[in-house]
Amino acid sequence: MKKTESEGKATVKQSGCALSRRKFLFYSGTALTTSTVLLQIPGVLKAREAHVATYPRKLIGKMSQLKLDQPVNFNYPDDGLNATSVLVKLGQKAGGGVGKQQDVVAFNTICTHQGGPLLGSYNKEYKTLGQCPFHLTTYDLTRYGIIVSGQAYQSLPQVLLEVKGDSIYAVGVMGLIFGRNNNLIG
Amino acid sequence: MSTPYYTPTDKVPLPPRNAEVLTTACDYCIVACGYKVYRWPLGQEGGHEAAKNAFGKDFPVATLQEWIAPNQHNIVMHKGRQHHVVILPDKQTKFVNLYGDSSVRGGTIAQKCYNPATPTKDRLKTPLIRIYDTLMPVTWDMALDVAAEVGKHVIAKHGANAYSVKTFSYQYIENTYAITKYARRHINTAAFTWHDTPSDVTSTPGFRDAGFDNFGAAYKDWADAEVLMICGTDPYETKSILFTQHIKPAIEAGQKVIMLNPRETAGVAFAKKMGGIHIDLYPGTDNLVVNAMARIIVENGWEDSEWIKKWVNNKWETDSGFGQGTRNTPWQWRTTWGKFESKGFEDWKKWVMAQPEYELEYAARLSGVDPAKIRKAAEWLSKPVNGKRPKTSIGIEKGFYWSNNTGNTEAIGALAIITGTGGRPGQMVARFGGHQRGGTGGGKYPRNKSPEKRPGRRRRALDTDRWLYSDHTRFSHVIGTTWLQSMCGSQGLQKKFHELVTANPHQIRSFDKAEIIETLKKRADSGGMVVINQDIYLVDPIGAKFADIVFPAATWGEEDFVRANGERRLRLYSKFYDAPGEAKPDWWIISRLAQRMGFDGFDWENSNDVFEESCRFSRGNRKDYNMIKVDARAKGITAHERLRQFGTDGIQGPVFRVNGELVGTTRLHDTQKELPETGPMGANMFNKKLTHFNSQTGKNNIMKSPWSLFSDFWEWLSPKGDELWVTNGRINEIWQSGFDDVERRPYITQRWPENYCEIHPDDARRRGIKSGDRVMVYSERVAEQKETILGVKGDDFQFSSLMDRGQIELSKGAVTAIAMVTPAIKKGVLFMNFLDKRQPSNAIQARVVDQISGNYNYKMGVGKIVRLGGSAYQRDQHSFSFAPRNIV
Repeated sequence: MKKTESEGKATVKQSGCALSRRKFLFYSGTALTTSTVLLQIPGVLKAREAHVATYPRKLIGKMSQLKLDQPVNFNYPDDGLNATSVLVKLGQKAGGGVGKQQDVVAFNTICTHQGGPLLGSYNKEYKTLGQCPFHLTTYDLTRYGIIVSGQAYQSLPQVLLEVKGDSIYAVGVMGLIFGRNNNLIG
Repeated sequence: MSTPYYTPTDKVPLPPRNAEVLTTACDYCIVACGYKVYRWPLGQEGGHEAAKNAFGKDFPVATLQEWIAPNQHNIVMHKGRQHHVVILPDKQTKFVNLYGDSSVRGGTIAQKCYNPATPTKDRLKTPLIRIYDTLMPVTWDMALDVAAEVGKHVIAKHGANAYSVKTFSYQYIENTYAITKYARRHINTAAFTWHDTPSDVTSTPGFRDAGFDNFGAAYKDWADAEVLMICGTDPYETKSILFTQHIKPAIEAGQKVIMLNPRETAGVAFAKKMGGIHIDLYPGTDNLVVNAMARIIVENGWEDSEWIKKWVNNKWETDSGFGQGTRNTPWQWRTTWGKFESKGFEDWKKWVMAQPEYELEYAARLSGVDPAKIRKAAEWLSKPVNGKRPKTSIGIEKGFYWSNNTGNTEAIGALAIITGTGGRPGQMVARFGGHQRGGTGGGKYPRNKSPEKRPGRRRRALDTDRWLYSDHTRFSHVIGTTWLQSMCGSQGLQKKFHELVTANPHQIRSFDKAEIIETLKKRADSGGMVVINQDIYLVDPIGAKFADIVFPAATWGEEDFVRANGERRLRLYSKFYDAPGEAKPDWWIISRLAQRMGFDGFDWENSNDVFEESCRFSRGNRKDYNMIKVDARAKGITAHERLRQFGTDGIQGPVFRVNGELVGTTRLHDTQKELPETGPMGANMFNKKLTHFNSQTGKNNIMKSPWSLFSDFWEWLSPKGDELWVTNGRINEIWQSGFDDVERRPYITQRWPENYCEIHPDDARRRGIKSGDRVMVYSERVAEQKETILGVKGDDFQFSSLMDRGQIELSKGAVTAIAMVTPAIKKGVLFMNFLDKRQPSNAIQARVVDQISGNYNYKMGVGKIVRLGGSAYQRDQHSFSFAPRNIV
């Protein structure tokens, strides 16, 4: 990614319909290539709504420019502390993946244990991030960033993606980013 | 119970500036990291500006700062009002979890707290009695009255040994003191044992014989060693912070690590990456590998001759015994036949050189390890470099001492001695530990009342499983353990429980207390068994299916408790919220039951009373804390309050009082330590183990460790045809016995929704098994030892002899699991989580005790594996991960 383009906060108008961004996220189907992270969990839809309400919508990459197993760095949801994230095409179906193969995912790269840096630790054979240099945690990017082995208190925060044409937008984050008490205070 | 769907959240409340702060330590693994509890009433919240939160930090915070993950927050009841709690590893602690590090287990411990809005909602809240096959809430008075009346009857009519007590050994000093005072001193039953062994015996007979304390080392010693041999565990997986804060930095600074383990998990992989040696041996072959190393060392003259000359007993010194009398001492019966005792170093050397199985090629072949690795390890351990001996330490844990219990621990004791390991800073041999050390004996185990006897004159602690199996147990009092799934050949044991309890015609069919008591007495008198169970949750099957009476226990955070960690560091674990419903701490339950049984000395009012009473019984022990009480008295406060002043730093036992100050002890057997010439002043007590070893002379006994006592069992067990070794162990993300985390912590449940089985890709391919497949692991020959027997001839307890005499029954065992195909497990070996209560892998493990010690060799099993079909985990990507655990 040479340049990222921010479109500011998602609004009703930007989504091009009468739904709020939040509702758009939750009620649109895979046909709109919205991230399906939440939709795959039966019975918990309602509980999730509050968690992804006011994230900025940010252009983070182009489908056509993504190369298999080559992570692209970006910041999200802001340029503040611990916002470094990666966008990666895994080449295999992943939880929350977008694109035709549902294999494009994005994650925050700060270890959710003690804040260790995971940038550059992508393992293309197993589609993981880690070991974290601090305390050796590894995360599975095909499974919503769940820990494979390690000491982290939760999965790696997954950046919710939306695809429009060739453009990939970051539209939310699942899970609290290390160091923050609220993802939107960065 | 939680579902495998964890709901991530993107906000967490910050404690306000005026939040109360209490100290505690983690409830789980041996390391016992220090934690702070921030507590404040519902309706308030701190702000992200430094001036507005209890940390005094601006949020967001940077790496390694105090941050709150959502799993570290909960809402609890405190003095009847709802409060927020945030439970964080203490960033200010000076010991143990340096820099406020924590594992995933302790890191999410806030989720342990009872909160009816979480999966903890099924905590036991009232006493229960099974009436008309249903566990119904009753009053404490009723439940205790029934238990006491039936208990008294059983003792009077069937003898004290018919009253069996199976209890945790670790869940806080106040509770274990009360329980052992009750069971061993007052009931005085030989049918008493701990959660992890069928009989009350030492976990490491070889350490005991050699004179090593299990927990003599300090965490600093593991870090200060130049060469560290780790046997039968990956500390990263099982005592994470010991690895991340003490061993990992040492490895990064050049420490050479040797790991004996059939698996390669994250810590092993890291050590290997940094140049360490992974001895990937078959289960049960450690004795061969360790003695092969020892032989290479003495063949080359690499032993620490100076140390051996000064610190190893000769024949006469060894023969002088331990001062415990000549009979009925574990050490004596182990050495009666001359199989273990040596006449000193030269005699031991002659023995080790004469055993053909310790030739490198033989040991390498049976263990399946590249001989070059064994040779290199021997070199690292003891070969002087530029005339300087390496500083070697050796740590062992269950993979090692639960696969050939006596043979392995005797062998490692001798290896430690010849490498000069055991009595100097950075040169220690010890266990790393499993559970924390929360035991203080309130009574002595009545070994002379045990009808079980080794050949010769030697009594052995009663095997409570076989005692029950042969119909002698009429009353089972089970405290904080699953009993069944945590023992070997567990399905056979469960069948027996069913026969004695559920299938007995005397079942409670009345709400009248007198009738209930009569029914249970009849049960016991008719050859059946009555079960009472104390626990925090209703555990299946011991509580859910078998218990006649259930007592709800209060636990961590719900009472002030004391416990020590793996370096004998004592801390006060603060009460910070109300126990659910009518749940009471175990010491309280025992005290009320004991008073009804007519026993005196149980009229404690609070946990501090129990702790203070226990103090004098700790004198001379490895965690002697008597002087805390002495100092507290001098200051006019309680012993609990005195310990609380030490916060998360705590103090290492044995504790002394010097010039009015309390002083801890870094390590035991510290041969370089100088004690004051004045000797112990006041109430202080200097035990020999401070500066010497645990033997009559204070020197080590160098012991033989014959493979032949175990080899017939190993050969019989070895996989035949399509069979594979089946072994088991702990998983990092689950607190080892999973007593509350894996089932009630949604994130952990999501990661490990059920038991799994690691299988090597070559073994999997041949059987058509893929990762995520549902498989059945089963055995058609689970060896089960039947009776409580008297040994007469020398080899009566030898496996082949038991087999010939019909003492071993072969049964079947089966357990389902999710397959995980990974090169991280040795080819020919299957690995499962050792205690998933729903799919207990111990069903496959042989229920045959180590013939010398009486421990189970839990890691020794054999079985087959077959694919049942695919599983939802292959399609639904929310839970499990099939990426290997050894990614570096």
